[in-house]
Amino acid sequence: MEKKLERIKRSIWVFHLNTGSCNACDIEILDALTPYHDAERFGVKLVGSPRHADVLLLTGPITLESLPKVINAIEATPRPRFIIALGSCGSGGGIWHDTYSTIGGVNSLVKILKERGIEVDGVYYVPGCPIRPEALLYAVALIRGLVEKKAKPMVATVE
Amino acid sequence: MSFVKKIIKPVEVLVVASKTGRVTIKYPFEEPWISPEFRGKIEIDPAKCIGCGACVNACPPNALEMIDSEDKKTLRYFVGRCIFCWRCIDVCPVGAIKGTRNFELATNDPLDLYDYIVHTRVKCRECGRVTGETTRMLKYVLEKAPVTENYNNKCPDCRKKIFINALSMRRTGPVGEKT
Repeated sequence: MEKKLERIKRSIWVFHLNTGSCNACDIEILDALTPYHDAERFGVKLVGSPRHADVLLLTGPITLESLPKVINAIEATPRPRFIIALGSCGSGGGIWHDTYSTIGGVNSLVKILKERGIEVDGVYYVPGCPIRPEALLYAVALIRGLVEKKAKPMVATVE
Repeated sequence: MSFVKKIIKPVEVLVVASKTGRVTIKYPFEEPWISPEFRGKIEIDPAKCIGCGACVNACPPNALEMIDSEDKKTLRYFVGRCIFCWRCIDVCPVGAIKGTRNFELATNDPLDLYDYIVHTRVKCRECGRVTGETTRMLKYVLEKAPVTENYNNKCPDCRKKIFINALSMRRTGPVGEKT
């Protein structure tokens, strides 16, 4: 994982991949690119084609209607390719995790991709509903190694 | 004329920019500004939680789940699915769940998104079978209503048996005994 990250020391170019989200996370992505938050400080640039991108910003629970298009977009991204799953829907399926028309988050997407022989080099999860623009900046800073990871699992056994 | 305008325009922009100053925040290197109403990740206090499952019923996206096993009852909190509505805080009877303003939850390891609290399930006093409640919940109920002590730590089958026995004692005497 770290070896693959070394190859992405250049500026990360992102492609915005909406997979049926409610547009709240999409608006926060636009917010993060404005001069106030200025994601371009870390070299983040929004590109119009997945062929130019290093990282896919995936928003929304992946609906069955959008699944073939999502797979096409991920297949078109050059290696090493990373996914940042944004929001509750992207990272875990959110409130639609068990509905009939979604596959429920990025984990099941990665499983489907493995079956088809498409590899993803790393998945970053950014929970939030919707995410704050700062949360996206934090994830980008985490990829660049500027901040330390704060999330920790907790296991407590009580009597 | 247009050539002169081309030269003047950047200068005008410079004047405006010098008036407004820097607007960009230095976020990862300084404290972010968060409003006091902002709702972030919840924290469950394992010292207070009784494992009653009120938060599990209230949670809209099933981010809080109760996983039953042989003799353990595990409360699992999955941040990746949480919509930060804080309903669990409203319904918690003991105030074990506390809301924070933490939003820096980004991670590359999916296991970082899970919190577990493992409770032990209480055993039936009569037959030794494991019942549904946790040890702490039983203690909590007994504190609130000491009257229930007779049948509270028994499994449903034993409760039924005791009830039928008591009822038949009132009418005809104990079951299975001919008088």
